Amino acid sequence: MTELELRDLRKTYRARGRPPVAAVRGIDLALRPGELLGLLGPSGCGKSTTLRMIAGLETVTGGDILVGGASVTGLPAQRRNIGVAFENYALYPPLTVAENLAFGLRARRGADRADVARRVKEIAERVDLTDVLDARPAGLSSGQKQRVSLARALIREPDVLLLDEPLSHLDAAQRDTTRRELKRIQRDLGHTTILVTHDQEEALSLADRIAVMKDGVIQQLGTPYEIYDTPATVFVADFVGEPAINLLPGTATADGHARLSATARIALPVPVAAGREVVVGVRPEDLALGGEDGLAARVVAHEPLLESGLATLAVDGVDRPLVVLTGPEVRLAHDDRVQVTADPRLTHVFDAETGDALR
Amino acid sequence: MTVRRRLVGWLADAALILYFVFALFPVAWMVILSLKPANQLFSTYFSFSPTLDGYRTVLGDSEGIPFVRFFVNSLVVSVGAVLLSLLVGLPAAYASARWRFKGSENLMFTLLSFRFAPELTVIIPLFVLYQKLGLFDTYVGMVWVLQLVTLPLIVWIMRSYFADLTPELEQAALLDGYSRKQAFVKVALPLVKPGVAAVSLLAFIFAWNNFVFPLILTSSEAQTVTVGALSFLGGDRPKYNLTAAAALVSVVPPLLLALTIQRYLVRGLSFGAVKS
Repeated sequence: MTELELRDLRKTYRARGRPPVAAVRGIDLALRPGELLGLLGPSGCGKSTTLRMIAGLETVTGGDILVGGASVTGLPAQRRNIGVAFENYALYPPLTVAENLAFGLRARRGADRADVARRVKEIAERVDLTDVLDARPAGLSSGQKQRVSLARALIREPDVLLLDEPLSHLDAAQRDTTRRELKRIQRDLGHTTILVTHDQEEALSLADRIAVMKDGVIQQLGTPYEIYDTPATVFVADFVGEPAINLLPGTATADGHARLSATARIALPVPVAAGREVVVGVRPEDLALGGEDGLAARVVAHEPLLESGLATLAVDGVDRPLVVLTGPEVRLAHDDRVQVTADPRLTHVFDAETGDALR
Repeated sequence: MTVRRRLVGWLADAALILYFVFALFPVAWMVILSLKPANQLFSTYFSFSPTLDGYRTVLGDSEGIPFVRFFVNSLVVSVGAVLLSLLVGLPAAYASARWRFKGSENLMFTLLSFRFAPELTVIIPLFVLYQKLGLFDTYVGMVWVLQLVTLPLIVWIMRSYFADLTPELEQAALLDGYSRKQAFVKVALPLVKPGVAAVSLLAFIFAWNNFVFPLILTSSEAQTVTVGALSFLGGDRPKYNLTAAAALVSVVPPLLLALTIQRYLVRGLSFGAVKS
């Protein structure tokens, strides 16, 4: 159990004849010992670069990386004692699972044969690989490959564990089981872990805290509920949540509403100066059909998904479609007229220009 | 319809057979030539009394021409050239596949241009240099100059093999505590073994077949079969039967090698051209 800290970590790629690209622009993070932090963001947001810098596979342009309070920024990957489970598993094809696991231990001089065999057996039991120890990677399912990759990272007892998109190559069924396994193993062994992913489900289900990244900057850091309940920016609100949040541009009025069009108004959760341009965010699950004082809308489409439904509405005078999660009992037809209301306590409001949440 | 299709099939077969005869005729002619007794060389075409005397003479070191020695020389310089190229070329190929550094592409294309440039353009300066350096007619000199033939080939083909490996394999090894060198030797190299086999064979064949370098840069000590076989044409009367026998013998090693690792060879030749 070791803490991990990133201080103003930066990475700028410079190539001759091209403008420099700032991939990571000052990241501050502190992980408690044993914590699993999800680094969530779209591709190109700098999350993989951050991971590679922590591992020592990428040089650091600025800032500091501390493992257990000591800086490892200047150390080569070999001397950092950080375990990485790569996205493509990076298993060595000619070797069996057992040999793959042992390979990592043999790097150290004077690795005792019996000790290596014992640790391979131990870790195989931990991640449920005992049956396939003599198989070669090509003969494994992707779920098993993922577990071998994890075991390979864990067998050296690293101070910090880094997981790069661990579930992205698994099919739906394997993803569920592997996710649960991953959570159990991480809890059992108690490694301080960073999980890099673009898949919110992966981050929400596994991580103690999530850092949402965009353009090399952390937009928000918090527990899954904090991220979901109080998104700090439009980007975070939009990126986290499935189905995606409705984002409606409007103008704040003096009586605590936002005018979305000549006729449509929506109540704001916090007072905002009249005339300010805002973006109102309402999640499909926080909207309800019916009510007196709601938005008048026309049904464009209704997708009955049995246990729930997804209605796409055209609010009068508003260009953007509004998506509403409906209950299983709701029956809607194309062109039906409905009223839709939002709970102001569950509504979010952002500055239209900066995208920051107004609170 | 079917009749027509069958006719087309026959015509195609006939054309192929015709081409086959045309292409293989010189080889067949050489085989016939090599089996002729000396006194029937110019008096017969196909009807003659075949004899292995030509081969006996060539391999038996008579006529004052040390053909066996040329043969051994060829083996030594070709194998030597390939080994040296592997020693230098494998790390070079790996480095160029993994890292881009200032001028790395220029360096690679300069190397490739050694293959494109006709050997004759540099042969005279090389001759002068070799004379002065004492490399003329030596194994070291031949192995060295053959690097122009084998090194670009090995570097370029092995580069695409290395580029095909995912770098994560080596990175995982680094994280385990292996050094860069160990990651190369223990992780990357074993995975490109089939490539090494294919490219070594190719390079060997090119080195073995080379004619201009041994022609100008050797005289007797380090002379190879390609030049040595010509010695039988000299003298008062050209001994075509011996030349043919010598040439056929000299084809044996590359042919045997090619047949043994044919599969790798095809893969080696087409590698990079077709993405798997």
